[in-house]
Amino acid sequence: MEATADFTAERKYDFDVVRWFTIMAVVYLVVGAGVGVYIASELAWPFLNFDNPYISFGRLRPVHTNAVIFAFGGCTLMGTAYYTVQRTCGVSLWSNKLAWFTFWGWNAIIALAVITLPLGFTQSKEYAELEWPIDILIAVVWLSFTFNFIMTIANRKSSHIYVSNWFFLGMMVMIVYLHVVNSLSIPVGLIKSYSLFSGVQDAMIQWWWGHNAVGFYLTAGFLGIMYYFVPKQANRPIYSYRLSVIHFWALMFGYVWLGAHHLQYTALPDWTGSLGAAVSLAMIIPSWGGAVNGMMTLSGAWDKLRTDYVMRFLIIALAFYAMSTFEGPVMSLKTVNALSHYTDWTIGHVHSGALGWVAGISIGAIYHLMTRLWHTEMWSEKLVNVHFWTATIGTVIYVVAMWVSGIMQGLMWRAYDEYGTLAYTFVESVAAMHPYYAMRAVGGGIFLLGAIIMLFNVLMTVRKSVSAGSLREARGTPAVAAA
Amino acid sequence: MSSLSDYFETDWAAMTATDWVGTILTVVIFVLMVVAYFQVFRPKNRDKLEARKHIPFDDDHQDLGDNDGRP
Repeated sequence: MEATADFTAERKYDFDVVRWFTIMAVVYLVVGAGVGVYIASELAWPFLNFDNPYISFGRLRPVHTNAVIFAFGGCTLMGTAYYTVQRTCGVSLWSNKLAWFTFWGWNAIIALAVITLPLGFTQSKEYAELEWPIDILIAVVWLSFTFNFIMTIANRKSSHIYVSNWFFLGMMVMIVYLHVVNSLSIPVGLIKSYSLFSGVQDAMIQWWWGHNAVGFYLTAGFLGIMYYFVPKQANRPIYSYRLSVIHFWALMFGYVWLGAHHLQYTALPDWTGSLGAAVSLAMIIPSWGGAVNGMMTLSGAWDKLRTDYVMRFLIIALAFYAMSTFEGPVMSLKTVNALSHYTDWTIGHVHSGALGWVAGISIGAIYHLMTRLWHTEMWSEKLVNVHFWTATIGTVIYVVAMWVSGIMQGLMWRAYDEYGTLAYTFVESVAAMHPYYAMRAVGGGIFLLGAIIMLFNVLMTVRKSVSAGSLREARGTPAVAAA
Repeated sequence: MSSLSDYFETDWAAMTATDWVGTILTVVIFVLMVVAYFQVFRPKNRDKLEARKHIPFDDDHQDLGDNDGRP
């Protein structure tokens, strides 16, 4: 019955662009995680820099962050948004051509990032390193994506806009103005510009963008994915629609205040950081409400976790979401921040969110999409299981290494003797980190292995679909004509 | 801070236009959140809101010509 429904959907909706976004997301997951493992190894074994500036940590680090956030995350968001908006609105995309423009435009941006960042062309703004011509291209492509999404909703057949579309829309609108304001700069050449802001205002704008990139891009967008794919994979409606509505509005109203907690103990007015921390704590309530809402969708059907590996990815992602959204507010408190800031604890926190939540929910959604878009089962269910365990174990090893390393760093930096002088030199703290940096590289390596297994499984599934003619059959294309 | 009243003391005369915009927006957003909580958790609205949770499944049934729209 489900297969018949998918066949009908195949003829009704524009899925080709979704298929390409899905494949590219998996490719970029491997590339982004691969660069991440390499730079983690550079920190543990610095000879890997090979005295070559193009592959040094400082230049490859933004390649890693841009690849995982904007290449992998962006392709996942665009693919899933285009898929879910059609299925929940009962109409095809407003413009399939515009969707293809976003696909090629977004991939062109990724290619430009891979070229310019190792060459050292950067605005030096975290998660917004790309120079001004690329920033303009990002704005154009993102607006095209947003416009196409809004117009598809405007043409909908359903009377109500499903909550996943609200989260996607919230992300799109907020990212437009966050990206535009944060990227305001004065160009002094084709590949050089200076920020319009300076001093503490520049820092505040940077972290207003930085934290909201986490809040709206990496949280709201992926919650849009969660609210569609968890119910669909579980074959049960979301536990509480009312809770999802509150989750949405609390996230939209609350998240924009948090950026200042990144600047505790700086030139920023003290009250600003305190306000950021206070609202951060308040955000635990809607965040946990959302996590519980997702998990409780399985209420009465927990046995699915025994056999459904895709479901496992989605639920473990929600567990990491709950954990990260508790850890973040705790770290924003001044007393905790005094210990955690500038240490590897922050890196551990970010990766529990990035690997556990963002990658977990994305991987679950992509596996779900693979079977729907190629009209066949995964080439190997066993490999999906292997991927689940490698991703989970790799993430835990990575995060634990950074927690221990970060807290040790913080304690070493603040330790002093009876004469009031520092007990450790900075370089002693660096030397003490070595085992944990090696452990982090191993954890990242295990996660990368899982991503490679996923790419192999995904490509074999596409091959299986092509050779069996599943997609062709779903499209209703006669075999002779297709040949 | 010697007392709670000191903590909340504000020099209203020193408020800039930006301060006022921020203050008003904060209060408006707080009120809107209260309204949202009230509307969402009002027992009268329960069935209407919860009925929407089935939307992701409507599509499958419409595809099959089953227009009752429920799984």
